[in-house]
Amino acid sequence: MIGDKRVLFAILVACLLAAVVSYGAPMVLSDYFVRIILLIALNGILVLSLSLSNGFTGVFSLGHVGFIGAGAYVSGILSLPVQQKMSLLPHLPAVLNWFSLPFLPATIVAGLFTALLALIVGYPLMRLSGYFVSVATMGFLIIVNVVLINASDFTRGARTFTGVPLETTLPWVFGWLGVTLFVLAGLVYSPFGLAMKAVRDDTIAASAVGIGVLRARLLAFVIGAFFAGAGGSLYAHYLGSFSPNTFYFAMTMNLIAMLVLGGMGSLSGALIGVVCVSLLSEVLRSVERGFTLGGITVPALFGASQIVLGFIFILIMIFRPKGIMGDRELTFGFAKKSASPKSTATTPREG
Amino acid sequence: MIKLSRREALGLGIGAAVALGTVGTAYAADPIKIGYPANLTGIQASLDGPMLNGAKLAASQINAAGGVLGRPIELVVYDSKSDATTISTVASQLIDSDKVVGIIGFADSDSVLAIGPQVQKAQIPFITPGATSPKLPSQLGNEIFLAAFGDNVQAAVGAEFGLKNLNGKKAYLLTDIGTEYTTLLSDYFVTAYEHGGGKIIGKDSYKIGDKTFTAQIAKIKSSAEKPDFIYAASNAEEIGLILKQLRQAGIDLPVVGGDGYDTPLLIQVGGDAANNAYFTTHAFIGEGASPKVQAFADAYKAATGNVPENAFAALGYDAVELMADAIKRAGAPDPAKIRDALAATSGLDGVTGTITYRPGISVPDKSVSVIGVKDGKLMLASEAAPTFVAEP
Repeated sequence: MIGDKRVLFAILVACLLAAVVSYGAPMVLSDYFVRIILLIALNGILVLSLSLSNGFTGVFSLGHVGFIGAGAYVSGILSLPVQQKMSLLPHLPAVLNWFSLPFLPATIVAGLFTALLALIVGYPLMRLSGYFVSVATMGFLIIVNVVLINASDFTRGARTFTGVPLETTLPWVFGWLGVTLFVLAGLVYSPFGLAMKAVRDDTIAASAVGIGVLRARLLAFVIGAFFAGAGGSLYAHYLGSFSPNTFYFAMTMNLIAMLVLGGMGSLSGALIGVVCVSLLSEVLRSVERGFTLGGITVPALFGASQIVLGFIFILIMIFRPKGIMGDRELTFGFAKKSASPKSTATTPREG
Repeated sequence: MIKLSRREALGLGIGAAVALGTVGTAYAADPIKIGYPANLTGIQASLDGPMLNGAKLAASQINAAGGVLGRPIELVVYDSKSDATTISTVASQLIDSDKVVGIIGFADSDSVLAIGPQVQKAQIPFITPGATSPKLPSQLGNEIFLAAFGDNVQAAVGAEFGLKNLNGKKAYLLTDIGTEYTTLLSDYFVTAYEHGGGKIIGKDSYKIGDKTFTAQIAKIKSSAEKPDFIYAASNAEEIGLILKQLRQAGIDLPVVGGDGYDTPLLIQVGGDAANNAYFTTHAFIGEGASPKVQAFADAYKAATGNVPENAFAALGYDAVELMADAIKRAGAPDPAKIRDALAATSGLDGVTGTITYRPGISVPDKSVSVIGVKDGKLMLASEAAPTFVAEP
């Protein structure tokens, strides 16, 4: 699929578009809209990395946010200016307190750290299936939260970790989103990706034909964790201040809602889910402040946005239980033109 | 993600009531916009809700009296949902889309830390009515002002109240290690209490959101030395539960804490168990309050239909007065001039006390009220300025 000239062309166009948006948007749009675009792209990275294990490999992890949090803290500690380290983290071990890494290296180190963490945690956990793995990974999330709160020499405990340089800009996020998408698409639509899906659809049959179940799951888990860690670093440098509770159940639910809504087995579905949920909650957040339409004044009803959002989730789950995209991809007719006899079915109906 | 708790339902109700109360006022002159992000849903709602009502009351009174610089003031309110990401989005909306000249908001230090970097970068003066960490201005920058006393001051008053009024030389310390506010409060208490000759005979911790405290209570019961009182650095939701479970376990010791207790939840959740609890806060609103406070309470009741739920309502009121006063003295709705005028505030007579900023210090010196619960009712136990205050 990569060899296809049209695909290359499409990638080129996508890169160009991303570059135009990321450099052009701040000049044209107000900071608020730039932030919304940035948040969508950022959540895109997080949900894509979640889809690898939860969607494609059938390991429904509830611990993904643990990796995001770990990544955020690791990169935060690494890139905090030295002077800030002295005042905010006075008990930081001497190995860490004399230097401050730039944004990109800190992000990569954060990704590698969480990947290593995933390898260690995943080796025992990826032998589990179904609900068991969900509960076990949730245990991991709780452990990360407790460690972040109690390792106060490194993290300021439960108090807000602050002073992280605000360096996450649109070009950075789009760059990372592109890398994430490229790596995950390459992986998911490779022979190894087929093995992952086989493990998801029928574990016993997959191992019967010689697919390494543990290997497939572990690789998906580790690669997902790498991008979760990197995304966590972007998040840290976007917020500047955060606490362990920023990376806990509320965020887990948010990301899972985006993934499930968009479609679990589809990369473009994951992105569509992110865009839909983000835009919807932003629109609702503005509407709930009250407005006047044609002489009728609707009073402010703070909290209404959460109710409406929840209601819409229920409706979508009733009428499209597999999410907006299910396991189809939005390909614009490029990929797999001749490979699959069902190629017409891969063209989305939703546009 | 989607849950509508009692707090949120309460927030909804308050929001609707406030909206109905303020609809229908229109002005000819262009209003001066002041940003007001508030955590009207989520964990902070029981503090930020009343605070917003107080702020709206101040704004409507100022406007009824002719506004500021001949123009009315307008509070641009957004719900920031007690969530760091939403707070940063709301901040950009206020600064960039609404072009506010100043921002007022939040009852907790964590939310202020979340909005701080953006406010500082945009050079917009920011007043937090309710956050009490005295470290905030030094952590964030010169645009950040507190309308309330610092935690070091209220912890010192709490310590002296324990030592003198309760005659307690031995205290047991319970800390919510889940938030910036309680962690700091607890540290400041230890410094002030030990300086005053008290002894901490035991320490324990829990995290915001915890529901059962049996392990902590068992430790208090089994402690070899008996404490004279318990200092619990807690937030609103948990203190009610802690008191209830303490009393059920047969511990009737006085429980002392900070302004985090000061919500209707203390008595609603705690019930009879809340008796013999004391907390330091910004103002006493109730029978026998000062005339200024009483006038505020009456106006609040007329506007919202409720008596002020807690001192945060008064703080919201004072913060708007503080900002309006600064805009007046600045002579123009210009953020840089307002900041300088704000820093020069002197002797502003507020509901929660007199606000003066000493040069270079954005935390006012104010007196602290100690409120106690007796027979399910709040009463003023003491009002004091501490003799010793820990460094921020």
